[in-house]
Amino acid sequence: MGMTGMMKAVLVLFAMAVLSLSQAFAVDITLSPPSNVETEDAPNDVGTQVWVRWDASLDDVELDQSSGRSLLGYAIYRKIDETGSGLESTAEMATNASELSFSANFDFQGVQPIGSVSYGRTQFLDENVENGMTYLYAVAATGPGDTFSPLAVADLPVTASMEYFNRGKLWFLLIMLAISGVIIGFVLYAKRGGIIKVRPIAGLEAVSEAVGRATEMGKPVLFVPGILDINDIQTVAGITVLANVAKTAAQYDAQLRVPTARSLVMTTARETVESAYLGEGRPDAYNEDNIYYLTDDQFGYTAGVQGVMVREEPAACFYMGAFYAESLILAETANSIGAIQIAGTAMPSQLPFFVAACDYTLIGEEFFAASAYLSNDPEQLGSLKGQDIGKIIAAGLLVVGCVLATIAVTNGSRGARIAELYIKDNILGADGLVPNANKVAEIDAAMESQSQQPLGKGGDS
Amino acid sequence: MDHPMSQIDPDQLKVILATDCGSTTTKAILIQYVDGEYRQTHRGEAPTTVEKPFANVTAGVLNSVSEIGELAGRRLVDDDGHIISPATETEGCDIYISTSSAGGGLQMMVAGVIAEMTAASAKRAALGAGSIVMDVIAANDGRRPHDQIQRIRDLRPDMILISGGTDGGTTDKVVQIAELIAPAKPQPRFGSSYEMPIIYAGNKEARDAVSNVFNEDGFDLQIVDNLRPVLERENLGPARDKIHDIFLEHVMAQAPGYEQLMEWTGAPIMPTPGAVGDILQTVARLQGINVVGVDIGGATTDVFSVFDDTFNRTVSANLGMSYSISNVCAEATMANVLRWVPFDMDERELRNHVKNKMIRPTTIPQTREALMFEQAVAREALRLAYKQHKEFATTLKGVQQQRTVGDTFSQETGGMTIVDNMKLDLLVASGGVLSHAPRMHQTAMLLIDAFEPEGITMLAKDSIFMMPHLGVLASVHPQAAEQVFERDCLVYLGTCVCAKGTPKPGKTCFKYQLSGDCTESGEIAGGELKLINMGMDDHATISVTPARGIDLGNGPGKKVEGKVRGGSVGLILDGRGRPLSLPEERAACQKTVQGWLDSLDVYQEDNEDKSTEPAGA
Repeated sequence: MGMTGMMKAVLVLFAMAVLSLSQAFAVDITLSPPSNVETEDAPNDVGTQVWVRWDASLDDVELDQSSGRSLLGYAIYRKIDETGSGLESTAEMATNASELSFSANFDFQGVQPIGSVSYGRTQFLDENVENGMTYLYAVAATGPGDTFSPLAVADLPVTASMEYFNRGKLWFLLIMLAISGVIIGFVLYAKRGGIIKVRPIAGLEAVSEAVGRATEMGKPVLFVPGILDINDIQTVAGITVLANVAKTAAQYDAQLRVPTARSLVMTTARETVESAYLGEGRPDAYNEDNIYYLTDDQFGYTAGVQGVMVREEPAACFYMGAFYAESLILAETANSIGAIQIAGTAMPSQLPFFVAACDYTLIGEEFFAASAYLSNDPEQLGSLKGQDIGKIIAAGLLVVGCVLATIAVTNGSRGARIAELYIKDNILGADGLVPNANKVAEIDAAMESQSQQPLGKGGDS
Repeated sequence: MDHPMSQIDPDQLKVILATDCGSTTTKAILIQYVDGEYRQTHRGEAPTTVEKPFANVTAGVLNSVSEIGELAGRRLVDDDGHIISPATETEGCDIYISTSSAGGGLQMMVAGVIAEMTAASAKRAALGAGSIVMDVIAANDGRRPHDQIQRIRDLRPDMILISGGTDGGTTDKVVQIAELIAPAKPQPRFGSSYEMPIIYAGNKEARDAVSNVFNEDGFDLQIVDNLRPVLERENLGPARDKIHDIFLEHVMAQAPGYEQLMEWTGAPIMPTPGAVGDILQTVARLQGINVVGVDIGGATTDVFSVFDDTFNRTVSANLGMSYSISNVCAEATMANVLRWVPFDMDERELRNHVKNKMIRPTTIPQTREALMFEQAVAREALRLAYKQHKEFATTLKGVQQQRTVGDTFSQETGGMTIVDNMKLDLLVASGGVLSHAPRMHQTAMLLIDAFEPEGITMLAKDSIFMMPHLGVLASVHPQAAEQVFERDCLVYLGTCVCAKGTPKPGKTCFKYQLSGDCTESGEIAGGELKLINMGMDDHATISVTPARGIDLGNGPGKKVEGKVRGGSVGLILDGRGRPLSLPEERAACQKTVQGWLDSLDVYQEDNEDKSTEPAGA
């Protein structure tokens, strides 16, 4: 072998080494691809979701235990219409499909998939699309190492679009229309002189009693409108009750004190009390200095109110608004000076303290119903009654749902399971008016598989 | 005025003479100690002689007492026209006592700071003392000061009771009330020289200030303990006693002949309603029972109640069977009155009948239909009066409540009624339409329909309105008063056993079993009324098992055992449920009511009950 022969041998060896090295970094496209890739704009959304569905790869099967699986999942890729204009119609999509395409030599290593699912799954929801943009999707099966299948590209691109009506929540619309109709009906009924009965609320009935006590004892009435600002709904409800307390105080010529923790609440309370005194023909008895600001600080305010309680010994104390840790401190202090106390709050954690320490407590909804209760205004009473009907519907659905779920578990009847599914996914969920056929099929399949279980399974045989 | 009451030895009282000087009639009774017990033996009556031409109440008293003397064969009035006392074997009485409602009785105006608190307590004190409350002035009564002053000027009360403020409480408001009354210068009913008695029973710290306000001619200010020293407690005794004193010293002293009458009596003269209240309280206390009494008159209806030792009295001024009958029909509505009548009646004719009764108050029904209509009106009058009584007889308002977390969903306000029909043991009726009903069954039916008693309740009537006499006797000799009340005053109609709840028509309401003088068992269906004959002296034990949701005293569906006694009507088993409801549709209503009337044989035509005459009559 001469010099030339040596050179050839070295070149051959070099070429073989390069070839083997390149083979070490290359992907192995040996898996069978999925088929029939279809895309669909997700219905009833705001244009941000696209469904991608396909038929499983022929390799999506379990081999024997020692070999494991050759297919571990599917990777989903997409191309976006760079013009951003989207493709309007199917025909247009077909025409322009060539513009949106995947290369025959797709670079699996260079392009990151937008998502992946594990084996056995044949659909993927892309939740990261933009309304009005057009996308072309492709799916490849993936296996251990860098094993891939060739890309299976969707026949057509898909344009994400927004729906104005979410048909999946038609039940929500129907219930909302029903409750609104009931509210409007009750309002009209009340306006025409119909009698709407609201059960007596002891805490509100006792307002005159508490103010009367203060008058007889020659002591002031203290009203605490909570520690939150006027933008809190509880404070607003508290101010509504304050109007009534002020009206009664004006009638009885009792002294009313309102220390506040927010300046805006003070201003609102002053306006409210002044107008109540004017309404009762006692503008002379109104003194704005009795409605004053203490501090924003929670415990500074609490200490200030406690000081008022101990010094002036009010005979009636009202706590109407949002309260936190100060609830029991205030209620216990007023209890120690022998005051009648009426509390109202929607803070569940503070209610037990108020109930135990106060004479009367307005609980949550009672507190918010105070406005309608006190004003006796037909519109407010009608609205209150309508809301009650809504609550009855909700409570009824809860009860029926629980009963059906229990029957479905214990009895296992198909009807009960479908009824449960209907309440859960159609009435309360987003499946629309018609039960989802796939879910019904799942129930049927599950029942069928149960029926095929041999008798005595799970027993002590 | 001092009476020798403290010197009276009750054991020495063997012959007791009592009178009640009413507006039109003076009624006298004689109570004697016979065979080891006190019995009412004779009664007499004569027209009251307060008005001219006699203008001396004692003339009527002597006439009625003389009638008794003749009936009893006992000389009670001497030749000088005085009642003979003490008694001997053949003449005189050991004590003479009297009540009075002549000349309109005792009329008062009361005032307080808050209408539902001290003013309500003042009203209770005045009513309990037997007065008619003409008006209640309060800081929150919704009237402007000039309207209040005008009202005070328009009224001519016998006296005024002012309350207001707890001890150490408001002074300003009490003085403000006094300053309304003083310049108004209210004039008393009797005598131009008579100073208007003012009783102050309010905040003790305001006494000086109130005294200063009334420190002028024309007022006789009397100060007693605060009737609401704290809001948690009422102290009505001192105010009531003072009202009695002033009634005797001022009001009675102004009425013609009363000065002499007061000299004859061995115990202070009491206002008639006050005496009725006293005897009911005495009986309730001695027997440990809850009692409701009603006296329905021509112009007013008085309701008395004693529940758990708390006494209440109300006067429904516009509910009566003659002068006020139009108001009853207006307030109850004719439709509500007619629901108790089991046949069609011409409404125009009825209205004429009502107006005739109003302008001719002494007329009595001449036909069965007229009687049924009048008793229908009486049912509504009694129902409305009892409703007013329930609203007035309440727990105190303005009282601190003690709560636990368990009260979260059951918070009750103060001022709840204390009248509980389930706890009621004895219901006593008096007044013309009840006492003089042709059949006792009608009285019983009226009482059940109007008062709607629940559980086991005894029904009785005071046939000759003897309760006032016994009330004043109770202040001297409570045991004697109770004995006569039990044996002679009350005519027992029987016992009613009434189911509370809403029984299903035709389905079992409750099952019963009787043992004792009467043995019977059976069941009562929803909507059914049944009468079981039990004589006046029959006593039995009844065991009642109610259906689910029906309450007879131990809670819904729970078995009840109790004692029942018979009477001139018997034992009434009522499965109609409470609250009582009648069908809306007229024909169905008539059929239902007719069924009830037939069940109790209320309007038996050919066998008029002659047993309404009271014992000793």
